[in-house]
Amino acid sequence: MTGRVIVITSGKGGVGKTTTSANIGTALAKAGYKVVLIDTDLGLRNLDLLLGLENRIVYTIVDVIEERCKLKQALVKDKKNPNLSLLAAAQTRDKTAVNAEQLKSICDTLKEENDFVLVDCPAGIEQGFQNAVAGASEAIVVTTPEMSAIRDADRIIGLLEAKEEITSYKLLLNRVRPSLIKSNEMMSVDDVVEILSCPLVGIIPEDTGIITSTNKGEPIVNDEAALAGKAYRNVAQRILGEEVPFLDLDEPKGFMAKIKNAFAKLKAKV
Amino acid sequence: MGLFSDIYNTVAKFFRPQEEQGDASKSVAASRLKLVLMQDRTNLTPKILEQMRGELIDLLSRYVELDKELLELDFQQEGEQVALMLSIPVIRAKDEEEIEATLAAEGINEEAEAEGTAEEACEADAEVQTVTTPEEMTASKKDDEIKEECQSEA
Repeated sequence: MTGRVIVITSGKGGVGKTTTSANIGTALAKAGYKVVLIDTDLGLRNLDLLLGLENRIVYTIVDVIEERCKLKQALVKDKKNPNLSLLAAAQTRDKTAVNAEQLKSICDTLKEENDFVLVDCPAGIEQGFQNAVAGASEAIVVTTPEMSAIRDADRIIGLLEAKEEITSYKLLLNRVRPSLIKSNEMMSVDDVVEILSCPLVGIIPEDTGIITSTNKGEPIVNDEAALAGKAYRNVAQRILGEEVPFLDLDEPKGFMAKIKNAFAKLKAKV
Repeated sequence: MGLFSDIYNTVAKFFRPQEEQGDASKSVAASRLKLVLMQDRTNLTPKILEQMRGELIDLLSRYVELDKELLELDFQQEGEQVALMLSIPVIRAKDEEEIEATLAAEGINEEAEAEGTAEEACEADAEVQTVTTPEEMTASKKDDEIKEECQSEA
């Protein structure tokens, strides 16, 4: 078996790389695929927290590289889904503890026995980024509809284009707020896609449920009712090659919004 | 009266479509972002852009009278291709005599100038790769001076 190695990157910090990694990984595992998540953010690891696995980590990626354990020993199985496992970052070391070749060889080994290897990339465009990208052949660029995040995503796309090993990269637009887009205070999905001229793999609405799901250490894809969870499940399906329409986030919700909308339409006609 | 108009405004505001209420800060963001990304991608600084704009005004002023304040020089992207778009508000076209006079005043051979114009137009439309050497900068300064002289004569 030769699995797909996908790096999840963004340039800017805080746009939701780790949340995206945890959710796509969980969704793919739920769909029956064998998935390994690699946290490459050495010194600032968080993927373990989002998956609720922080108490189970014995060995990290640095232990594997420095041969204190076997690769298999360092993989932590998810609590709920045996298809999903995590290779955690070392919290006490920095990015120089790992180099691109070492990461590539880990990815190459892991893809032999897994359908997907998802690499959670650190913020920035330095060594950490170069390491995370080294073993990947696909990339998901996470951004939000904010200027600084888009500018950084553009930079990352430029760097990915220059890499021969990366055969495809797609955009995931995170933390979209339909109400702000409606009032022309936030760039729309179309605006961002046009500016970056990069194909979309997902649109994730801003969802307060993300906060509570992080608190509990349980990815939001496990919450069937949450809109963001549904959006992430759709992303997983698109990665699997299915054509899933993007969620319509523009539906006005609530009674007052409907009345307001009706009057606005009426006024437009007059 | 004041009370009634206040109430009216409040009610009217409630029923106004949201697009009218929000300031269009997103379009400001989009246009700022487009410009900054083009600069990031092409390494063209605002200074060079401004200089290019100035030189284009000089060039075009020989042939047409244009509204310098409203002349726009922008990047536009269509797919993978980046194009420089120049929007020139023309006040009026100069007649042949005027053009000849301007060219003569600048000491430019007409035929050579025609070639130069075509070349520059091509450059502006195709890939954005402007390398400006110090010599060119001084040349543009001279042009400026010459043009000012022409105008004072006229």
